[in-house]
Amino acid sequence: MQRWKQYGGLFGLFAAFLAAGYWGFTATGGALPWAKRSAKALQRGVQDGGGALVDLGRGIVVAGPIRKGGLVLEFFGLVALLVVVGIGMYVYVDRYGGFEDGERPAR
Amino acid sequence: MAHIHLGEGTFPVWALVLWTLVGVGLISGVVYRVRKGGIETHQIALAGIGAAASFAVFQLNIPVWGGIHMNLTGLVGILAGPLLGALIALVVNIFSAALGHGAVGLIGANTLVNASEAIVAYYAFKTLWGMDWDVFPASASAATLGLSAGAVLMGAIIVVSGVNGSALPRGDLTIAVAGLVGLNLGVAVIEGILTGFIVQFLASVRPDLVGLADREPRDEPTGVTA
Repeated sequence: MQRWKQYGGLFGLFAAFLAAGYWGFTATGGALPWAKRSAKALQRGVQDGGGALVDLGRGIVVAGPIRKGGLVLEFFGLVALLVVVGIGMYVYVDRYGGFEDGERPAR
Repeated sequence: MAHIHLGEGTFPVWALVLWTLVGVGLISGVVYRVRKGGIETHQIALAGIGAAASFAVFQLNIPVWGGIHMNLTGLVGILAGPLLGALIALVVNIFSAALGHGAVGLIGANTLVNASEAIVAYYAFKTLWGMDWDVFPASASAATLGLSAGAVLMGAIIVVSGVNGSALPRGDLTIAVAGLVGLNLGVAVIEGILTGFIVQFLASVRPDLVGLADREPRDEPTGVTA
């Protein structure tokens, strides 16, 4: 298929979804964290709100239950473990061509 | 992206039972097909990496549009396939609920939401790829469509279930939920672009991982060769 048709379709999809996103942003209270937005919208219905679409000053926040429970270190430890195991399996499969016959139902 | 963040007790008991049973049915079907058909070994490694990436991104709140988190379930679906994608959705939701991110009673509903994202993204990617689309527009569109399917399903689950303690009539609740779904559609664009770049990179270095090794290059090399 011609490239302009592919990217035209992609940009059309993005434009429609971004417009829906902006409506959703304003209709559900504006610049609110998701938990507050969700609770407010479901309890009180749609209410217009404003605020910045992007607020980099807040930084990237680890999920509240992890942060408040003092589990940030454990969280990053778990993430590192999963990443190492994942990459280790990838390297193993790539280097040795898979698991032993009968050990795993591989095709 | 789409994830039901409501606390325990927000849904009536019948709804919890219903969504849990439907979720169990989906996972049972997936496990049956995995056991019957087997798994490509490279997919197991991809599933491990996909689960790690999805779980990590799940827990990070990004300061866009008030605060959202991504799922990477579209990416997981495209890379690991619909079967492993659904299993990864279950694993990520169990881990997340164990940490207090999402109610334990909603693991069934949230697994349905996230599994639908992976499944729709996979089939959308395969369809677009079959229509001879390039990697980036195909993967970005597929991920965006998959995530939008999950957002719509999330909204439908909330509206069908109703919310305990909410005085909103069903019509007003539907409009409020539509606002939440709409916001998710906007976030799907961001995640779709990110997915497009990741899949395009993987396709350029290891096309076999993305199942694209069999396609002939679109642009034949030109010029004088020795």
